[in-house]
Amino acid sequence: MDRTLDRLWAGAEPRPGWKVSVTPDAAESEAGSADLTAASDPDLVSACLAGRREAFDVIVERHQRQVYHLCYRFVGNHEEASDLAQDVFLRSYRALGGFKGTSAFATWLYRIGVNVCLNRMSAKGKTPRLGTLETVDPVDTRAERADARLLRGERAAEVRAAIAQLPNKQRATLILRVYHELPHEQIAGILGSSVGAVKANFFHALANLRKRLQPDASSPS
Amino acid sequence: MKHLTDIEFVNLVDGGEGLAADRRRHLETCESCNRHAEALRDALREAQIDRAPEPSPLFWTYFSARVSDAIRHETPVAAFSVGGWRRHPFAEWAIAASIAVVVMVAVVWRATLHAPMPGALSATVTTVSPAPQAADASNAQPAADDVEADEAWAVVRSAAEGLRWEDAHAIGISAGPGAAEGLALELTADERAELARLLDGEMKRSGA
Repeated sequence: MDRTLDRLWAGAEPRPGWKVSVTPDAAESEAGSADLTAASDPDLVSACLAGRREAFDVIVERHQRQVYHLCYRFVGNHEEASDLAQDVFLRSYRALGGFKGTSAFATWLYRIGVNVCLNRMSAKGKTPRLGTLETVDPVDTRAERADARLLRGERAAEVRAAIAQLPNKQRATLILRVYHELPHEQIAGILGSSVGAVKANFFHALANLRKRLQPDASSPS
Repeated sequence: MKHLTDIEFVNLVDGGEGLAADRRRHLETCESCNRHAEALRDALREAQIDRAPEPSPLFWTYFSARVSDAIRHETPVAAFSVGGWRRHPFAEWAIAASIAVVVMVAVVWRATLHAPMPGALSATVTTVSPAPQAADASNAQPAADDVEADEAWAVVRSAAEGLRWEDAHAIGISAGPGAAEGLALELTADERAELARLLDGEMKRSGA
């Protein structure tokens, strides 16, 4: 059938007034998307700046988890975290022309994320609004007793509230180090600090956290 | 021997570089440093207890579609972003020069269209000009024309409307110290009067 149609099209002559246009077929579009999926972050940025908006979709899919969890650590509930994460991506899209490639794209994106979160915290107050347990608990609770689970949840809430009271840089440093497991050097790039300052902030964050969680115990600071 | 520093405690507790041999020797004998290190480890363990809940797998598909939809309503970054402009070698100078030309044309146009206000200049002029000829701050300020109806000023405002301060500042359009005073000193008396009138009207319009 396809060969029949090909011969028919090959034999067809355009009539006056006909307008011939070429559109990529589905296979070609999929091939284009496939090369974006495998592209590096700087290549995706270049593609986006060249007009291929779908390149930014790949960036979002690649980094959405990290951005969402970063925002969640600051605001403490799913609804605000997803709004904030969307805001982070929108701002990064608008500022895409300013990405020079001197740092890794993830570092650049984290920097925007931390600034957006800290600005939101300044506007709304530091204490996060803790969400309900409507999302999936990452810990396998099937073997856990109900009372143990309750205690764990209560303690986690205390920890979260204590972290929320930390000064901004200490809080950001602790979140990036403990929950995103970023190396100190990358955290320094995100926060615009030296590695020594990052480690000092981390020390004070842990010391202050200890003080808030166990006020009667001795504290390193 | 000195106790461990903050950074050495972090290296000890949080992995990383570890401690030098002499510092390790100090740690073996110093009860205070050991106690502090254990307190930091406790705090770290407590922080690690709190594992953020993972959203439903469907959320990620929904979220990326939501962001994609929001991006679709944005101006394409390549076409209009200031970042895109910045790649052009003369773009910054072109933007700065065009804004400066528009402002000066507006000032000169207004000065030639309208006669300068006789006598009473506003207090704004007395702060800009060191020796205004007919300044008398004690006189009542003249009634300002309606700035909204001023076509030249409308041209200036519309030219600067889409330009955010952050973008202008990022490409170098910002006033250095004394720039405003220096520019004002180069204006003629008529131009200074006109500038004062425009500024006055603008301040009244914005409620300053």
